[in-house]
Amino acid sequence: MNTQALGVEHYLAGMRAALDDLPPNEVAEIMEDTEAHVAELSTELGEDETLEQRLGTPEQYAQELRQAAGYPSRTERLPVTTKKQMLTRPRAAAWGLVAATGITVLAGAAALREPAVLLLPAVILVLSLALVNDRGPVQQEIMNLPETIRLKQWLTPEAGTPAERAITYLKSLQPAWWLVRAGLLGLGAVLLAGRDLLGFLAIAAVAVVSVFAGPRAKVDRRWLWFSLPASALAVGLLFQVIDVTAGQLGYNASRSSYSGPVMQTYENIYVYDENNKLLTNVTLYDQDGQPINAPRSYSSCGRGDGTDPDPVIPANRYPRPVIDYQNGTCYTVAPTVTAPSSASSSSPSTTGTPPSSSGSATPSSVPPTSVSPSK
Amino acid sequence: MDTSQLLKGVLDLAVLAVLRKDDGYGYDVVRRLRAGGLNGVGDASVYGTLRRLYNAGMLTSYVVPSEEGPHRKYYSINETGRARLAESRETWRSFASTLDGLLEEVAA
Repeated sequence: MNTQALGVEHYLAGMRAALDDLPPNEVAEIMEDTEAHVAELSTELGEDETLEQRLGTPEQYAQELRQAAGYPSRTERLPVTTKKQMLTRPRAAAWGLVAATGITVLAGAAALREPAVLLLPAVILVLSLALVNDRGPVQQEIMNLPETIRLKQWLTPEAGTPAERAITYLKSLQPAWWLVRAGLLGLGAVLLAGRDLLGFLAIAAVAVVSVFAGPRAKVDRRWLWFSLPASALAVGLLFQVIDVTAGQLGYNASRSSYSGPVMQTYENIYVYDENNKLLTNVTLYDQDGQPINAPRSYSSCGRGDGTDPDPVIPANRYPRPVIDYQNGTCYTVAPTVTAPSSASSSSPSTTGTPPSSSGSATPSSVPPTSVSPSK
Repeated sequence: MDTSQLLKGVLDLAVLAVLRKDDGYGYDVVRRLRAGGLNGVGDASVYGTLRRLYNAGMLTSYVVPSEEGPHRKYYSINETGRARLAESRETWRSFASTLDGLLEEVAA
């Protein structure tokens, strides 16, 4: 089997050499036919049969083919009609496809945030396909580009090697990938739905068409201009979904472990002395002399017309009075002692209990105890 | 008489006739020609003929992936090819009947 594979390679090499005076495009076309032919023939060969016995020498084969095809025989060299141009339409189209596919991976990773970025690869694809659309489904000129031939050689390692088995296996997964691709694109479209209608419609359409594009591209290579970027877009979307998911997981994890400074304002503070007696008119400052918990002055209801003895109470004076509105009338009520019961249990001295919540427990020293009805 | 010499002149016609029925890749065309009775047809001649007809714009080609081995390039006849086939068939028939007539005279 291996010797047969070697025999095939040897035979084809001989053919190529015998045809090397022909235009490279034509040689590639011939070799595409011949490779399939010789490969198929080699499987039909008997034990001791060689390709040469069936087909003649590569040189004879080439000579017979040249005659039938109407090419000049080997000795007369064809006038050099092959353009040595670097930038031909097929080459521009091929690299346009490669570039658009690459950009689509990147754009796909951003497509959920800004679907309009997909317009760039789309434009490149349309332009590059327009260059070669009239060259037919086989796109032989692109297949004959030296870079394409190198890629093809790279993708077809010698039979029996692990690389060849891996590639064969990956190829067998292709139909599955087409479905996964459609699924990923559909997921991307769904994630866009409701945020960007055009983006949703565009990606949904790509998802649907991509199911057919895979098999079509096998027959008509022009479908590669759709199929390859569709794969790239699916990969890009996958990256983004992974990124977003990982980001959320990371965010949650950091939230659960991280406890920053607690910026909490209290509604009121009750201070007890060692005898468990509620202290009133306590003014709190921090180490910088800033009033604690006092972003603003604490205004009572009074409007300074004399009826209110202390219309403006410093907000860091505790316990704060309670301002109560009743029937449209404002009352400044002395702080009701509603210290939570836990305060008593945690207080170092438990000789008594702090006054239970009763609006009447009002030390006489608290200035804003006066109930001053005002508007 | 060496039929391979005769074949050279009419291989175009035979290949077009085979492809008229159904698209085919090179070796497939070879097999169908042999199955049709043209045992002496050479593989390389058929491949060369396919290339010539293709370059003359009478055939189109497309690639079909193969489970094992390289992809197969199928050839199919187009309108130009069909027109050429019809024309060549008439030429062949009148040529054959002329030659038949000559041979009849010899036999008589």
